[in-house]
Amino acid sequence: MFNIIFTFLFVLFWASSASAQLKGDSGSPGVRGEIVGQGGQRFPIAVSPLKNTGTAADSAKLSEGIADAIVHDLELSGWFKVLDRSAYIEHPQRSGITLGTFDFRDWSTIGAEGLVKGGFSVQGEEITVELHLFDVFQNIERIGKRYVGRVKDFRRIAHKFTDEIINEFTGIPGIFNTRIAYVSTSGGRFKEIHVSHLDGSEKFQVTNNHTINLSPSWTPDGKSILYTSYKDRSPSLYLFELYSGKEVKWSSKTGRYLGGKVSPDGQYVAATLEAAGNTNLYLLDRNGNVVRRLTEDPGIEVSPSWSPDGRQLVFVSDRSGSPQLYIMDLASGKSRRLTYSGNYNTAPEWSPKGDKIAYTGRVGSRFAIFTIGSEGGDPRKLTSESADSEDPTWSPDGRFIAFSSNRAGRYQLYVMQASGENQRRLTGSGGDDTKPNWSPRLD
Amino acid sequence: MPHFKIACYSLVVLLAFAFGGCAPSTAAKPEMAPQKSATTTTPGGSSQGKGEGQRGTGSESSTAPGSLEALQKGQSSATPGSSPLKDVFFEFDRYDLRTDARETLKVNADWLKRNPAARIEIEGHCDSRGTNEYNLALGAKRAQAAKDYLATLGIPADRLSTISYGAEIPVCKEQSEDCWSQNRRARFVVIAGKPAS
Repeated sequence: MFNIIFTFLFVLFWASSASAQLKGDSGSPGVRGEIVGQGGQRFPIAVSPLKNTGTAADSAKLSEGIADAIVHDLELSGWFKVLDRSAYIEHPQRSGITLGTFDFRDWSTIGAEGLVKGGFSVQGEEITVELHLFDVFQNIERIGKRYVGRVKDFRRIAHKFTDEIINEFTGIPGIFNTRIAYVSTSGGRFKEIHVSHLDGSEKFQVTNNHTINLSPSWTPDGKSILYTSYKDRSPSLYLFELYSGKEVKWSSKTGRYLGGKVSPDGQYVAATLEAAGNTNLYLLDRNGNVVRRLTEDPGIEVSPSWSPDGRQLVFVSDRSGSPQLYIMDLASGKSRRLTYSGNYNTAPEWSPKGDKIAYTGRVGSRFAIFTIGSEGGDPRKLTSESADSEDPTWSPDGRFIAFSSNRAGRYQLYVMQASGENQRRLTGSGGDDTKPNWSPRLD
Repeated sequence: MPHFKIACYSLVVLLAFAFGGCAPSTAAKPEMAPQKSATTTTPGGSSQGKGEGQRGTGSESSTAPGSLEALQKGQSSATPGSSPLKDVFFEFDRYDLRTDARETLKVNADWLKRNPAARIEIEGHCDSRGTNEYNLALGAKRAQAAKDYLATLGIPADRLSTISYGAEIPVCKEQSEDCWSQNRRARFVVIAGKPAS
């Protein structure tokens, strides 16, 4: 089942002089830095199919499968222009994969400035993959890594290497070894929680209780998902442990829990609790007991999201007469209003860097994704109001936002850069996919 | 745990004939539902109400299942036109009662006065636009607004419970104002006690 995600992957550093030299290389004008910055040129890169260096035949088409997964990630990032494979000159199975065993001119001729090459060998259930990033301009190796894992986890190896490539170019590792939890109606009329990789692979259905399940959110350790369910008829919070398949009801007290988010230290849940028509925010401990009531308002108070340091919450309140975002300082209990433009601002998510808050705002009769500084200021609209876009969620590095949109008919999941650029649809499930929540980086 | 009792009670109606008691929901089969006799055992085990079995099928719609049960059974959660308890409707992102909603609630209150054994659950619903969690809160406000008004009309609060389904169980699924307006509603489901007449 879910052991896919938690399979231990052995990562060995490829003892390459080039990769060692990289560490002290940040000042060089090579590959690094060219793609950083918004609106810049996309960096032209080639990703060669991998060479089968083992004795077993490539019946699973791993040669292209691993390269395809790297290509998908690089394109999703928006920073690379991956050159079309049909233009590649050399034969991947007949040329070498290490420095000096292939001709850089085969790649500079087609316009590649970066090059990914690699090899793999399969022994039973196990696969060994060796991957390299070359600088075609300088004819040097930038990264060399060897991975050992299970054959069926070959995409995870590709995602991990892509994260290394992103790190090499931007100084911050990529976010491709992550998952998205979301609500989907795929397979019927019920709303169930699902998890999958950004490329649509490794799909896993978390709930199957044939009711309504909502608002999934990852625990900070990436091991569990908290969500709201009507499975016991009255909405409550449940925690599903992915690798054990164990589910526990977090909200132990009776009451109607409309949603919740685990604190950055994993010790608390900020929860929305409804009673007599009023919804207020509460702090729950690990056993689901209320340790503190956070709001005392007769109106609607929902959708808390933690600041990265765990000291503040951004949430929605209609105390002004329309739903707006507020920020509460937990130490003082005092709140300040964050949004003033528009009459419907909901679903706030605090960025991992702490400087911004993404949310859903109403524009005319449509909904769009906005960001606003956590200290206030002018909100920035990131999606077009030609369709509805809702429920933003940040990547763990804060450089991307996933959301759901009906721009292609049904609600499906999309990813964009945090600037709003490079909006791309993720693989759909066939149903309505909503309420994405991005995992932390997974090991 | 009132909600457990409610769920259990609806099964009593369905399954009393076959099993004579409260049974797990997995045993509930839609085809067993029709023509149940007037078994009116309440969750506490006592008998009350006059029974609907003797009446024609047309007037039993007040015992239409709650929206979640309807969803589970693959049935429409629309309130039948024959139901004596009518839905009330709201404006977008509002939970104050319109004039027509107050008129409808007066009619619903009159029925509740004629059927003193009846307890109802008021469901709050929203249209599909906007955020799930906010809509759950908004639906709770709508259900509560209907409950509060029925209370001012003299219906004891202990006969009225509420639940919000937010935008999760729409009766109309198109993306149009006509459809959205049908979904912004409070719905009334009889959970105990049958029509007196």
